[in-house]
Amino acid sequence: MLPTLNLTGDVILAEHLSHRFGKIGLGDVVLVRSPRDPNRMVTKRILGLEGDRLTFSADPLVGDNSVSVVIPKGHVWIQGDNLYASTDSRHFGPIPYSLIEGKALLRVWPPEYFGSLR
Amino acid sequence: MRMRVMSFLKQWRGAAKEAFENVSIVAKFLCLLHVTDRYIISSTHVQGPSMLPTLNLTGDVILAEHLSHRFGKIGLGDVVLVRSPRDPNRMVTKRILGLEGDRLTFSADPLVGDNSVSVVIPKGHVWIQGDNLYASTDSRHFGPIPYSLIEGKALLRVWPPEYFGSLR
Repeated sequence: MLPTLNLTGDVILAEHLSHRFGKIGLGDVVLVRSPRDPNRMVTKRILGLEGDRLTFSADPLVGDNSVSVVIPKGHVWIQGDNLYASTDSRHFGPIPYSLIEGKALLRVWPPEYFGSLR
Repeated sequence: MRMRVMSFLKQWRGAAKEAFENVSIVAKFLCLLHVTDRYIISSTHVQGPSMLPTLNLTGDVILAEHLSHRFGKIGLGDVVLVRSPRDPNRMVTKRILGLEGDRLTFSADPLVGDNSVSVVIPKGHVWIQGDNLYASTDSRHFGPIPYSLIEGKALLRVWPPEYFGSLR
């Protein structure tokens, strides 16, 4: 999630109310349960909601081949801000909305980066 | 005047203390009930044709436990409560017919023909299917689902009473 979140680790405050009321929107940084490993939580950004058509580059290091998908009902598209070092929906496809567990509010540590995530 | 206010307050102090104790007992009970219902064992009303003949069309009440899936103890053949991947507000009841790494071959449309489709279940996913193949929307339609969507495992049926007991 570089450059939004630091490589060496941040402490963020996340709230667990928005996803229960359906108030997760485009551009939100969310905590989701990984679809590949049920015991792991990952932090990514929502870049697509159900019904959206997304076009992305399958492998940004290799070439310009684009892939176009439509996000099915009940699913969202998550992607890390660091396209070159993120395993996300470009690899495992759109994830069910129910896997979202929280929305990041603000960063509290380290203190020089205190504040909202931009 | 001050003496009367003081004695009035002293009178109500005993009643207030008792009321507070009773309220806290009720609050503790509700907390225990919530934790048990959410994280240990709960009853659910399930209905629909997708699990015939195991579950009735008109609706059953089953007891489901919410511990197994946290310890990874969900296995092949278990009837589980999962959150629908198509609608985050809906829970569905299906049977686990495949675990991660399994290769499954199924008939894409049992009413139409014999065309088989073969899939390998990816890591962290399971394959759910209703017992009633002709009236069930399941992994044959929306693919394998992430294991984390499983919320409980059915233990036994408690209603209607003539069908009381484990699900077979």
